[in-house]
Amino acid sequence: MKVAYFSPLPPERSGIADYSALLLPALRERVEVVVVPRGAKRAPRGTDVALYHVGNSPEAHAWIVDALQRQPGLVVLHDFVLHHLVAGMTLGRGDTDRYLDAMQRDAGVIGRLLAHGVVDHVLPPIWEERAQDFPLAWEVLQHAGGVICHSSYVEGLARAYGYEGPIRVIPMPAWPSVEAGDRLLPEGSTPTIVCCGHLNAAKRIPQLLAAFEAVRRPFPDALLVLAGSAAPSLRLETVGREEGVLRLEYQDEADLWRLLRDCDVSVSLRWPTMGETSGMVIRALSLGKPLVVSDAGWFQELPDSVAARVPVDEYEVATLAATLERLAGDEGLRRQMGAAAAEYARREHSLGRVADGYVAALEQVAGGEAVKDAILGDVARAAHEVGMSSGEPDLAEVGVRSREVGIGD
Amino acid sequence: MRIAVCAPQVPFERGGTEILVETLTEELRRRDHDVELVKIPFKWYPGPRPLREALVWRLLDLEEAQGRPIDLVVATKFPSYAVRHPNKVVWLVHQFRQAYDLDRTELAQFGEEPVDRATVRAIHELDRRMLGEAQRLFAISENVSRRLHDSAGLTAEVLRPPPQALDFRRPEEGGDFILSVGRLDRAKRIDLLLEGAALDNSLEVIVAGEGPDRGRLEQVTARHELDGRVRFVGKVADEELVDLYARCLAVFYAPIDEDLGLVPYEAFLAEKPVVTTTDAGGPLEVVVDGHNGIVCEPSPAAVASACARLAENPELARNWGRAGKQAAEGLTWDAVVERLLSP
Repeated sequence: MKVAYFSPLPPERSGIADYSALLLPALRERVEVVVVPRGAKRAPRGTDVALYHVGNSPEAHAWIVDALQRQPGLVVLHDFVLHHLVAGMTLGRGDTDRYLDAMQRDAGVIGRLLAHGVVDHVLPPIWEERAQDFPLAWEVLQHAGGVICHSSYVEGLARAYGYEGPIRVIPMPAWPSVEAGDRLLPEGSTPTIVCCGHLNAAKRIPQLLAAFEAVRRPFPDALLVLAGSAAPSLRLETVGREEGVLRLEYQDEADLWRLLRDCDVSVSLRWPTMGETSGMVIRALSLGKPLVVSDAGWFQELPDSVAARVPVDEYEVATLAATLERLAGDEGLRRQMGAAAAEYARREHSLGRVADGYVAALEQVAGGEAVKDAILGDVARAAHEVGMSSGEPDLAEVGVRSREVGIGD
Repeated sequence: MRIAVCAPQVPFERGGTEILVETLTEELRRRDHDVELVKIPFKWYPGPRPLREALVWRLLDLEEAQGRPIDLVVATKFPSYAVRHPNKVVWLVHQFRQAYDLDRTELAQFGEEPVDRATVRAIHELDRRMLGEAQRLFAISENVSRRLHDSAGLTAEVLRPPPQALDFRRPEEGGDFILSVGRLDRAKRIDLLLEGAALDNSLEVIVAGEGPDRGRLEQVTARHELDGRVRFVGKVADEELVDLYARCLAVFYAPIDEDLGLVPYEAFLAEKPVVTTTDAGGPLEVVVDGHNGIVCEPSPAAVASACARLAENPELARNWGRAGKQAAEGLTWDAVVERLLSP
């Protein structure tokens, strides 16, 4: 099987580019892969199936979705909420009508009216405040012959959204081994709590800072490291001055690993969620670090033994502070959670298992139509011969049962 | 209780599964249940055909018959477990092995074409859904249960069926031939025994059963000039089978990774030891090397050596046969029915 592979790749700075760089060698051990150059309009001739990595950034993924719309294939849905992407591919290209249609598909007439409000600048852009209420995922899903997602959470969202094609949940792969080099963080700060990645309001940074202030009272040596590019609205430029907080800008991959290796606890909060899986959490799991996460989205699928979950409610800051204090004061618990995390990463997120899952999904999509044609062709012939015609309830039942056994549309 | 026992039927074939479902039906009836054996002809080739057969099962309405509800369906092997019913119990004989452990082996059905690969994946998906919706899931052996868990992540309780109730009689002294019982197909690997006989001039073999591999096996026999020492007796009646069991020295049974295999249990009820191989699958759950038989490497030389050891030690063979009987007698239909019908 020859696979046309559409994805951002390093040196592009994105989690999905890193993901593909990790996955590709393992996938190439199993199937023939042709990496499609950025901007290509369609899969190269002679490929059996196209694989499209789709995330929410129009800069990184618009060309991939353009190709998908020309030629359906297997979609890796890294985010379920694709409003930002779709807005970029429609309004960003001056195609207002398509944006209006997409909003109407998601939310009917109300959606269309809201979209008019955005287009006419009488409402703020939806993708900045309420994207999760209007995911606009149909723009992608309607062309997907099958979907890979990284969590049952996203699978549930896609099903609730009306997608009926095959979905395969394939966990994010864990990095097999990383040479991290010398220590990056200063020694002697216990505990060292790290929060890495692009920092924005959805990562609950204000809540984390407030909780850390409380942690500093019983643990004056505690250090909070905030590492990554930051959304301007967060105003983090003053944060580094606060005692106990170390503010670092974007870290390359090697330094990211050093940071995570040097910490005692890794914090990855997220709300609202776009249905994404956190590459940072997977890295922390690989290194056997105890995790603190939001009790939301994919994070809910992590076992209690590896992650402490903090509900997103009015007690969030207090709960987060209490959780961090407990971990700060109990080295045994940190060790226990860390060991469970490493074992969990090894078992559930092994690269080989992930690549096997991709092959299964690719095979299912590559020949899926031929399988359906063969079987449903037989069924249609038999139905015609016994005098059944479309619209009859019995024939509708055949359709329902076909879908149940996985061969219907 | 009104019960529908569901099983596919390859027309004109009769083997272990057919005997199993017919006996289950009879045993349920003996316990005053109203039971129907529902069979649908099964053709598994070419290409995606197995999925079409699954759809046929899915289209059945077994929730009621003549206005009266059917309380329970017991599905057995692929694709009968695609049947719909609110109270579906699966007693799994096996999945469609061509889509699993036999894929990409010399016994494979599917090639590398996209349609073949997609069919394999669709069967995996089908199994996950159809077996996953069962109220209770049993497997006829550890081997079948393990395969199910490995392939679909589903857990099945092991519920071994008793062997068919033949009128076994006391073993005769002085048995001097090795008996092979079962359908003659490639996966049963009877050629291991024939090739073994070619290595040991004293080894005599009787092969009971019919099947598509007979021609090839007869060629093996002719090639090694075994005509005087190997006899193909075809499909035999129960009385003759009992007679063969009583008169043989030991029973050879070594398919590749067999689901369960009731032949060793029958051999044990006839107080005969069993020669099997380390890769035989189900038989290894009951044949214990040096206790009730010999588990050897899957090579003609090892099989020949195992048979020779039994021929040279008839007392040992008798003792091992008796030891096997105890294991086989532990399987009863009372226990099977109780577990299948328990809520």
